[in-house]
Formats: sequence, C-alpha cells, structure tokens
Amino acid sequence: MPFDLNFIARLIPALLEGAKITVELAVLTMAICLVWGLLVALAQGTRGPLGWISGGYIQIVRNTPLLIQLYLVYFGLSMAGIPLSGFASGLVALCAQNGGYVAEIYRGGLQSVSTRQFEAGRALGMGRWTLYTTVILPQVVARIIPPLTNQSISIIKDTSQVAAIAVMEVMKISEIWVETSANTYDVFLGAALIYLALTSVTSCFGRMTERWLAFAQ
Amino acid sequence: MSSFNPLYHSFWYLLRGAGMTLLMAGVAVVPATVFGLVLALAQVFGRRLMRAAVVGYLFLVRGIPLLVLLTFAYYLLPLTGIDLPPFWAVVLVIALYYAAFMSEVFRAGILSLPAAQWDAARSLGMTRSLMLQVVVLPQALRLAAPPFVSLCISLVKATSLVSIVGLWELTMASREVVERTLAPFQIFIGAAAIYFCICYALALYGRHLERRAILGH
Repeated sequence: MPFDLNFIARLIPALLEGAKITVELAVLTMAICLVWGLLVALAQGTRGPLGWISGGYIQIVRNTPLLIQLYLVYFGLSMAGIPLSGFASGLVALCAQNGGYVAEIYRGGLQSVSTRQFEAGRALGMGRWTLYTTVILPQVVARIIPPLTNQSISIIKDTSQVAAIAVMEVMKISEIWVETSANTYDVFLGAALIYLALTSVTSCFGRMTERWLAFAQ
Repeated sequence: MSSFNPLYHSFWYLLRGAGMTLLMAGVAVVPATVFGLVLALAQVFGRRLMRAAVVGYLFLVRGIPLLVLLTFAYYLLPLTGIDLPPFWAVVLVIALYYAAFMSEVFRAGILSLPAAQWDAARSLGMTRSLMLQVVVLPQALRLAAPPFVSLCISLVKATSLVSIVGLWELTMASREVVERTLAPFQIFIGAAAIYFCICYALALYGRHLERRAILGH
C-alpha cells in the first residue's frame, strides 16, 4: 500500500540512520581524498619511479569499477589475512578510486594556469614560495572548486555501492525495508529524496564557495 | 597466498562475462547518446517550459545514484505491469541515466563555439536546421568527443552494478567463480584486469581524440 502514513513515520527514522552512515562515509572519503589526491598529484609530477608508480595508480583506479575494488578490498584482503569491516573496506575502496580522480583535478588545475603567470611572477623577483602562495595557488583553488564539487556529488552517489558489502547506509536499509514490507514506492521515494537532498546541499555549498572565492579575489 | 590456478581455470568464463559487459555497454550507449543529444538541443534551443523540463530531469537523474535507480526499476517495473526482459530493463535505466551526463557534454560543446560562428552562419542566410547540420554540430561534436569517451568508460564501469540486481556479466561471473573457488583475491584481480583492458583502450582512444582536437584548432 503506497503512501501509508504509519509506515512512512517508521521509515523516516530508519532511513535517516542510514543517511548518517552515508554522510560519514562521503565526508571522510572527501577529506582523505583532498590530501591523498594532492600527494598523488605531486608524486606524479616528479621524474623517476615515484612518478611512474603514481601515474600507473591513477590509470588503474580510474579504469576499473568501484564495485570490483570494493570486493577486492573486502573479500580479497580478508583472505590475505587483513580482515576489514564493511565500513573500513568501503572507505579504503572509495578513497582509492576517488583519490585518482582528485589527483587529476589538481593536475588539471595546475596545468590550466598559464606559463606567463609563472614568468611574470619570476620577473617581479618573487621566490618560489611567494610565487606559489600569492599568484599560482589562488588561481588553482578557484578553478578546482567546480570539479571538486562534482566529485563530491559523485562520491555521495558512489557510497550507495557499499551496500553490496552489507554496510547499513541508505541503499542497504532501503533494500531491507523493501524486502520486508514490499512497500516499494515509499521506500525508494524516501531513499531518492535523501540522496537528492545530500547532493543538492553539496552543489549549493560548492556554488557558495565559488562565489566567495570570486569575491575574495 | 595460494597460486593463480583458480584464475587460470576460469579465465574463459570471465572473458565470456566480459563479452556480456561489452554487449550491454554497447547497446546502452546508443540510446544514451541519441537522448543526450536531444536533451542538449532542447536545453540550448528549446522554449522556457522545455528548458525547465530538461533541467528538472537532469536534477533528478544526476542527484540519485544509478544503483538506486536500477534497484528501483528491478522492484518497480513488474508492479507497474511493464514486462521488460531484465537485460532491456537495465539497458534502459543505464541509457536514461547516462543521457543526462551526455547532454551536459554536448551542451558544453555547443556553447563553447565562438559567437562569430553563429553570426557567420546567420549572415549567410542559413536556416536554423541547416546551421545546426553544417556549422554547429560538426564542430561541437568534435569538441565533445574526448569527454564523451570518458563517459563511455564510466558507462562500462557502471554495468558492473547490474550484478547487484542479478544480471549476469563480468562482475557476476567473477562472483560466481569466487563462490566456487574461494579465491576472491585472484579472481577479482583477474576481473579488474579485464575491465582495465577495456577501459584503458577507451582512455587511449580518448587521449588521441583530445590531441587531434587541440591540433585542429
């Protein structure tokens, strides 16, 4: 029976419990990826084996599905004697994949700054530190905010795949509720609304940051 | 860690799964591209109501994870009396989902044409449809080609999700083999390697297109 108010009253708290896990997973992933992606991007810029390895890492994580990475971490590592919980495995796999994407975003941002900006800074007698902190990085930061916002939205949606290794986030909880209640409409409407709310808030936040940075410059 | 024997014995089975993955992605990418182009044209040239409808569609599709939509279709389509075979149901959902992202790519391509191109076409007395056919689309599609290929990679990876709703392709095949052999590490590495070959080939092709687009300008 769709739109049963009694059912919805019981459903909402359960889905919000799941939303907590979803948000936790997404925020942790984004926070770790901001640092990890930067490290990978910096390593990729170097010559020698380190640059080669991080380039290979980026290609591998970007060209294989997250779901396979999840299975590999969850089932593979436990077989290899490193058992991780579902949440931890999800976090590792999400960070592994999205770290590759974030590294590419950093690289793209740095490359998009014209070489003349570097030359102009040097011509003014700036040292490397001053050049980067006052001329280059402010431009890079302004340019990477939109793609980083998109990546955050993509991470929020990706967290739904963690349901495949039985983490109780929104997707898994709605699956369980559908199977026990057969009230498909209400449950999926609820799940869809939660994801829409989370992604909308993220994109609003991204746009606000963009505007604030444009103002600050 | 045990040897890679299980992978060796089941490699043909996995390759057959990869064939199914390719078939699914290949069939889905056609309607996704067509519908994506229609959405992009509607958003650029349509009246206000049409544009609002497209924006609403993009908002919904881009804010909800593909896995939620797939599971929703899995439970809901039988209830609504639409009796599609599972293969076509998931192809439909994937195509509708990716059409939203394709439309963004095409729209960016159309909007990035310099205004002088439009003016020149109009001053030659071209009708709107002729202008689209001979001036706008050939250039816009060339610009959109590299991001289009990245979306195709994402689509191939996304087909792995259909294993969660019970369809047989590479990810499902590898899960079956894992259940039989209890060698998750080896089998999932094998599956990841097959996905990598497909996606990296696409990525190289995308890079080739990108280089050509830069040289062409």
